Amino acid sequence: MSNAVKTGVYFCKHLNGHPDSIRLNELYAFAEGMEEVAQIWKAGDLDLLDHRKLAQVISARGINRIVLAGEKPGFIQPMFSKAMAAAGNDPAQITSVSFTEQNATRQKDTALAKAILACAVLDVPFELAAIPDEVDVNPDTLVIGGGIAGIQAALEIANAGKKVFLLERTGTIGGHMAMFDKTFPTLDCAACILTPKMVEVGQHPNIELMTYCEVKGVDGIPGNYKVSILKKARRVNLATCIGCGNCSEKCPAKAPSEFDNGTTLRKAIYIPFPQAVPNKYLIDAESCTYVLNGKCGVCVKFCPVENCINLDEKDAMVDINVGNIIVATGFQTFDPKRAEQYGYGKYPNVLTSLEFERLVNAAGPTGGFIKSRTQDKKGNWIFTDEGAEPKSVALIHCIGSRDHNYNKYCSRVCCMYSLKLAHLVKEKIPKAEVYEFYIDMRAFGKGYEEFSERIKEEGVHLIRGRTARVEEKEGKLLVRSEEIYEERIMETKVDMVVLSVGLEARADAPEVARMLGIDQGEEGWFVESNYLTEPTSTFSGGITIAGVCQGPKDIPDTVAQGSAAASRVLQTLMRGKIRLGIKDLPPEKIIENARQISPLKMEVES
Amino acid sequence: MSTRVDPNFSKKLEAYGKADWNECYHCGNCSAICPLTEDGFLFPRKGIRAIQMGLKDQLAGYVDPWLCYYCGECTDTCPRDANPGEMMMTLRRWLTAVYDWTGLSGLLYRSFRAHMAFMIVLFLGVIASFLVFADFSIPATSEGLVEINAFAPSELIHEIDTILLLALMFFLVTNILNMFIKVIIMDKSVRVPIYLYFVKVWEAIFHFGTQWRFSKCEEKRWYWFLHWFLMSSYTLMFIFIIFFLDWFQTDVVHPWYHPQRLLGYYVTAGILISTVYFVWNRIKAGKTIFKFSHHSDYIFPVLLFLIAFTGILIHIFRISGMAQATYITYMLHLAVEVPMVTTFVAFSKWSHLAYRPMGLFFANLKKAALQKQYKTQLAPAT
Repeated sequence: MSNAVKTGVYFCKHLNGHPDSIRLNELYAFAEGMEEVAQIWKAGDLDLLDHRKLAQVISARGINRIVLAGEKPGFIQPMFSKAMAAAGNDPAQITSVSFTEQNATRQKDTALAKAILACAVLDVPFELAAIPDEVDVNPDTLVIGGGIAGIQAALEIANAGKKVFLLERTGTIGGHMAMFDKTFPTLDCAACILTPKMVEVGQHPNIELMTYCEVKGVDGIPGNYKVSILKKARRVNLATCIGCGNCSEKCPAKAPSEFDNGTTLRKAIYIPFPQAVPNKYLIDAESCTYVLNGKCGVCVKFCPVENCINLDEKDAMVDINVGNIIVATGFQTFDPKRAEQYGYGKYPNVLTSLEFERLVNAAGPTGGFIKSRTQDKKGNWIFTDEGAEPKSVALIHCIGSRDHNYNKYCSRVCCMYSLKLAHLVKEKIPKAEVYEFYIDMRAFGKGYEEFSERIKEEGVHLIRGRTARVEEKEGKLLVRSEEIYEERIMETKVDMVVLSVGLEARADAPEVARMLGIDQGEEGWFVESNYLTEPTSTFSGGITIAGVCQGPKDIPDTVAQGSAAASRVLQTLMRGKIRLGIKDLPPEKIIENARQISPLKMEVES
Repeated sequence: MSTRVDPNFSKKLEAYGKADWNECYHCGNCSAICPLTEDGFLFPRKGIRAIQMGLKDQLAGYVDPWLCYYCGECTDTCPRDANPGEMMMTLRRWLTAVYDWTGLSGLLYRSFRAHMAFMIVLFLGVIASFLVFADFSIPATSEGLVEINAFAPSELIHEIDTILLLALMFFLVTNILNMFIKVIIMDKSVRVPIYLYFVKVWEAIFHFGTQWRFSKCEEKRWYWFLHWFLMSSYTLMFIFIIFFLDWFQTDVVHPWYHPQRLLGYYVTAGILISTVYFVWNRIKAGKTIFKFSHHSDYIFPVLLFLIAFTGILIHIFRISGMAQATYITYMLHLAVEVPMVTTFVAFSKWSHLAYRPMGLFFANLKKAALQKQYKTQLAPAT
């Protein structure tokens, strides 16, 4: 056994950064316990500049292989190469292994880290040892989220002839895209692109639409999930409602419209917007007089269909069995009230971009005419047709994005949609002065740079300089920023300020992640198994992610990812088999696999 | 005109304080949120730019740090945590060192040990000279009066006092002259007509007395008041010591309503209250402006506190006729005061008392001169 393999393992010090990082002491003990390991070095044990000393240790202990384990082990490899050569060994016998690459970063991943280390020691690529088993797959798929990502994924799968449950929390599918007026950079009407797709979803024989529903629990393994779903009481029978609108007309209770982002009021029995799918009414329990006080029932009286409205309907639970789950839960916009200096909520004519999107929309509160908010008799600030047309509008970029106080990342869409909104202002009020205050103009996609140039030519003032605060002065809004190129302070008086709010992971994303057993990154977005090459799969086999819930992206990218997620699912459905996720594979099994296929063993035997 | 760049400047500046100027991506938020900045004197972003680019010579003639009163709003809202407010503070320390042609200031700022060593030597020197020259055995007079001026020969003390202060004034004035050269003379873009010096000097004096600009920093009124209270107290104390020591340090006990006693109490209260406030806040490190403390930010108020504290103790011991206690406290009082005055007046934090109004004065001069230049340029040629 003179040619026995003796491995030296070095642990990088990067590992110890986080209080919740892998338990290093366990890893040390595990490495020492492996028969192939002759020596371990802990971070800090070695003088990393003195390769001669290391070479002495290597020859004294008869070490002929080295494993470098850590976060970025490549950094110290040159030093070990030198030492190996100096000790008369093959410098190529150095294996670097990164724990982060396999997503083993936290304390709970210690067992997985051990498996990763064992594979490296046994000279087996981790991916080769960690091939999960295959099981039969249930042909049905659940898509969580009825935005454009979910719609696209559902349609792709349904068109391939497989059954899809499309689950949506609100009363209609469509998501954020349905709220937009136009899309960039083509300036297509968002509804004209989206609504045909929505209708297709509504009529598709392979899609079972579950609106006004929420996922409450997920059980089982990839290929065979049991999902418990809360069917919130809609109080209107979906099958019999003819959508005549009599009920809504007579309903006495009003609440701010979610679809119009609070710029208009809707009734307690309502249809979210005219093109909603399903185009049926529902009752909002939080504003319905009957639900709140037990008295009213006007809608029932005026409903032409018998037993269509059941005001006493209760929430119900249903279970469905599916083989794959696509998560397309989307995002929420940054709440600009958190950044007080911009005066949102304080000054009536400081709007968020989403509110402005509704304001310019022809179906919006003013029929598509841009008007300032005015005070009604009760003192509420509302949009009406009588409002004054703003003569100047300022769009402020990066609200809540690229900011260490809120979200550090770039939300990716704000520059482009702000340019689009600037164009819409210019289109509707050609004489208006439009200012855009930006940090950097990120026009990164196909046709985007050209779009930005076009907006500049339209006479929009693009000013490099982040706005620091918005104040009200003499009935105007004073926007204060530094004009970086000219090195001067700019105080711009405008009638309306639009805050380009960034995208954030939904507040309930941790709950969703916990239920589905997927991970959330530092910023709250769901973690994909490989950012570059596996943007839709997760570490749990049957769970696929699509759309903004994976990270900020614009509509084309969201649609592309929706299709990509569907193709992942279809792969399993076509084969009838699904691979379990690495998470479902016990680390001990990985080590066992590695031992079986380890080339070192064969060498020793021969 | 060529510009000399020092690529390592940003590293070197780290010795004067702490701010992450390399984090800055130049969004301009700090300048835009600042209540004091104005066109032509745009800060803090422009300073960060100059630091990042290593424009050391340009920064030496940069007057803007003296116009900033550090309300901390720029740091609070900075999207990159680059800490522009602390950057301005750091630049003020660095500029103090730049103006000081002896080089002592830079040493005191860069090294806590050097500062402490310097002060300990002076402290021990004062104690030693008292032990040699003073007579601790003189009792109180039969009326219960303690004669400090008999215990320590007042003529000698006055002479040393005068020499020390003249020397420090010399350093301070030459440093200000150096500042003047760097800010006004070296700046070729503007020529200041002589008459403007007389027009604008009153503004500088007004701001020196009231620190009015400080009150422009929103939500910092209380802080401004305490700072003004401290400033007025020790300025008064300085005036007493430099010009009216004979009147201030007497062996006669005046009645309580005598202006000498009332002013003495005012000075003591001002220094004690505000130094405790500042040191306490620095220890707590809660508010943005107190989050980072340079060693000079501690030494200065602590020494001021000790001076005022021993000062009031001398007063108490003296009026209660405790001769030996008075002598020892008096010795300690001077042993603290001499190192404080020597290291701080011309070379460290105290000097901002002079540089701030001068900075404002120079900035106003430049502004007025530039306005005049533009007017002549724009005037129709007739």
